[in-house]
Amino acid sequence: MEPLLEVRNLTKVFKKGSSGEFTAVNGVNFCLYPNETLGIVGESGSGKSTVAKMIARLLETSGGEIFLQGEDITHAKGKALRDIYRQFQMVFQSPAASFDPRRTLGDGIGESLKNSKTAKKEIKKRVRELLVQCGLPEDYDKRYPHEVSGGECQRAAIARALAIQPEILICDEATSALDVTVQKQIIELLGKLKKERGMSYLFICHDLALVQMFCDRVVVMKDGRIVEEGRPDEVIMHPKNDYTKNLVDAVL
Amino acid sequence: MSEKTASVTVRRQIVRKDHTKGKMIFFGVLVLLLLLMTIFAEYICPYDPNQQNLDQALQSPGFAHPFGTDRYGRDMLSRVIIGSQTSIFSALVLVAIITVVGTVIGMICGYAGGVIDSVVMRISDICLAFPGLVFALAIAAILNGGVQNAVIALAAISWPKYSRIARSQTLSVKNTEYIAAARLAGSGSFGIVVRHVLPNIVGSILVTAMLDIGTMMMEIAGLSFLGLGAQPPTAEWGSMMSGGRSMLQTYPWVVLTPGLAIFISVVLFNLLGDTIRDYMDPRNSRRG
Ligand SMILES: Nc1ncnc2c1ncn2[C@@H]1O[C@H](COP(=O)(O)OP(=O)(O)OP(=O)(O)O)[C@@H](O)[C@H]1O
Ligand SMILES: [Mg+2]
Repeated sequence: MEPLLEVRNLTKVFKKGSSGEFTAVNGVNFCLYPNETLGIVGESGSGKSTVAKMIARLLETSGGEIFLQGEDITHAKGKALRDIYRQFQMVFQSPAASFDPRRTLGDGIGESLKNSKTAKKEIKKRVRELLVQCGLPEDYDKRYPHEVSGGECQRAAIARALAIQPEILICDEATSALDVTVQKQIIELLGKLKKERGMSYLFICHDLALVQMFCDRVVVMKDGRIVEEGRPDEVIMHPKNDYTKNLVDAVL
Repeated sequence: MSEKTASVTVRRQIVRKDHTKGKMIFFGVLVLLLLLMTIFAEYICPYDPNQQNLDQALQSPGFAHPFGTDRYGRDMLSRVIIGSQTSIFSALVLVAIITVVGTVIGMICGYAGGVIDSVVMRISDICLAFPGLVFALAIAAILNGGVQNAVIALAAISWPKYSRIARSQTLSVKNTEYIAAARLAGSGSFGIVVRHVLPNIVGSILVTAMLDIGTMMMEIAGLSFLGLGAQPPTAEWGSMMSGGRSMLQTYPWVVLTPGLAIFISVVLFNLLGDTIRDYMDPRNSRRG
């Protein structure tokens, strides 16, 4: 089967100060297949968010390639990039910072619809539907980001990412600020969309239990490299790599 | 003990915020009155400000002429009132021009970066390195007198201040996640700048502009005083002071009344700008 999304040898080097360099992501390879959920786990600072941002073309790569349905998008720009964003979306790790403080949540959620020339009335209706789907009251579209809690903002961020019905969703700790019941609701929603629309997810998460439950495959990152890859049950129950063992032991 | 201190602090903050708001409204109303006087100047003037009447020349302030008359017998009060049109409106127009131009340039530079940014910023460095009024004098002299040319000259040297502020603010907004999110939502650069960058930087720019109105009034008056701004017989406070400067000791009202008008308006605009800045300060209000 042809992968939906593929990264080859992805690398990111940050400049530190005048001469120092820091390799945050170092030669990462993986594929995401249609209708699959790929988990990325790893300790804090292992480069998970950096990988996500490079795939979303929000951060220039230092090396390697990114393919979307066989097409090289590593250097996509302008109009081409805007078209790509109709196919994939991302939920940011810090939801509060990802909403414009001077615009309502409704504005933020509807922005992609507005850009694809949807009628105003239709946008409003869709935004309210999305809010309800993500477990928020529909009148939250008039609220400002500072007027909602962290978890509510996170759900609004998920609603925004789902607005233009992407095929791929990159979730960077998308459920970390949610309590168990809301988290369950969101996971069920994502599962339902996966089944109904055949969506694929790149699911960055530090909750190993959730990864085990929700992901089809998982990669383990450490210091910018992938150290292990496999089915969640195998990786979590019988880790081959010492680092993964420590990671699992630390949780269980 | 500590609880008591905390509650005291909270109360003081609330009191201070209300105070700022009251002051802002107070100065706002005064500035509004000043602007109304300017707009309706023609109807308020007790005499025709340009009507010469040599028998009445250089009368000291009294019942008939509260501000006295000048050497051509023109009523000073009427001239001061009508002069506000040139003095205040030209300052407002000037500030509006430099705010808009400077902000647009600064946002483009900050958002686009690269070659445009470095070229424009070097130009603005050059403008900022010159002593402002001297540069404006040179430009005004090349363009010849007239209020319009004085405004152009001052605009040419004053926009870099705004482009600097707009640029640095744009740079800090540009790297936020909400801009990244807007890009993911398929917004183009123009849409992002208009919808997300501008609303987030406009506050501090407007405060700077408010505080600049007074300064610009002084500079226009200064150029006019030197003969490079408003030309006689146009009533303008700076040129009126200049016209009467030889009579400061003998007929002081000819110089002092337009001087007082400049002083009062500059102070009013500055006080309003200050209180608006205090009001917008995040330490005073929970949210701007
Ligand atoms: N803009 C940047 N400039 C310099 N270093 C950066 C930058 N962004 C990230 N880094 C560094 O890159 C490394 C990886 O960061 P990243 O955000 O990808 O970690 P992460 O795996 O997402 O961690 P977490 O689980 O805490 O979110 C970190 O050590 C971080 O300090
Ligand atoms: Mg992260």
